[in-house]
Amino acid sequence: MATKLKSKKKIDQKRERGGMEPKYYEVFARKNSQSDLAHVGSVEAPNDQLAQVRAWYIYDQHKWKEMCVVPLESIITVTEEGKSAKIKMG
Amino acid sequence: MAYTPGNPGSRLNENFENDLLAIADTKLVLGNWYAECTMNGRSLPDFAAILGMCTSNYGHTRAIYQYLAAHGHNYEYLERGRGPDEIRSSNLLDEAPTGWEDFIVSTWLAELSTWMLASGFLKHEDRAVAGIAKKIGEETYFHLKYSQGWFQIIGEGKKQTTLFQKAFAHRFPLALQWFGPARGKDPVHEAGIRDVPLKKLRDAFVKETATAEKLLGADLEQEKSVKFAKDWRTDARRFGPMPDGLFEVVRFKDAELAH
Repeated sequence: MATKLKSKKKIDQKRERGGMEPKYYEVFARKNSQSDLAHVGSVEAPNDQLAQVRAWYIYDQHKWKEMCVVPLESIITVTEEGKSAKIKMG
Repeated sequence: MAYTPGNPGSRLNENFENDLLAIADTKLVLGNWYAECTMNGRSLPDFAAILGMCTSNYGHTRAIYQYLAAHGHNYEYLERGRGPDEIRSSNLLDEAPTGWEDFIVSTWLAELSTWMLASGFLKHEDRAVAGIAKKIGEETYFHLKYSQGWFQIIGEGKKQTTLFQKAFAHRFPLALQWFGPARGKDPVHEAGIRDVPLKKLRDAFVKETATAEKLLGADLEQEKSVKFAKDWRTDARRFGPMPDGLFEVVRFKDAELAH
């Protein structure tokens, strides 16, 4: 096909995926002003801009009024001090 | 029937129709670019984002075709009946991407240029047109953010940055020519249909593309003067017909399969 990329796909894990262990963001969203800002899932992205876009397109089950992403590393645990927050899969 | 805003069946200004078709047809090809290159994305979330951008662009295209069909055109003809010399997509997307960096450059320039032209209709007297322009803006916001995310990653690699710069040097003049000559006529603005002159949109496009340098961390060669080919068509905003290989990708193969 005319538009397929001519070069083979080579992924630089460190740059394009944030490392061998990808970088995760937690996704929060609300349907309207009355709803709570609730956790809807997680996305993997190497930077904030791609996290925003991937979250918007993956979690498109509703026409969200508001959506935000938080880097997992920014979450400060309260009940598990000294440990990192665990993402919720599924 | 003379055109009246919000009155289906009334005929539109021909130059206005040309602008709308140029946006719609470029987005038709752009949507196909995304569809074809989905599996070149870097991860599953990337596939979702690319497919989302694909369907958004198809949606913009169809909305414009439907608007034109409401004003005297045949929808079936617009969507499925035209040949490679009738589809008015930007020359920017004629050549297949040579690599990931070229893909990011080309899709970014196509998104930005179509949005720039559409933004001139945000205050159109017909709410349908203004609504389409607004929707394009809302969704292109995320498409451009996708490109910006990739600028930063590409900029971290020396080889990748060089590939990006080369791709930009090749694609940017094709994107710029889409706006027409810098001092050319602007009948749509002169008729009061687009409230922003084409020159202002062109300048805004040039200014916006320059902002990529900061995210990329490298200079981009912006060729400001464009040499127009002898067969440049002002109404179609392109020279020559669509390449046969690209037309084979873009055209609808079988009407029954689409249902």
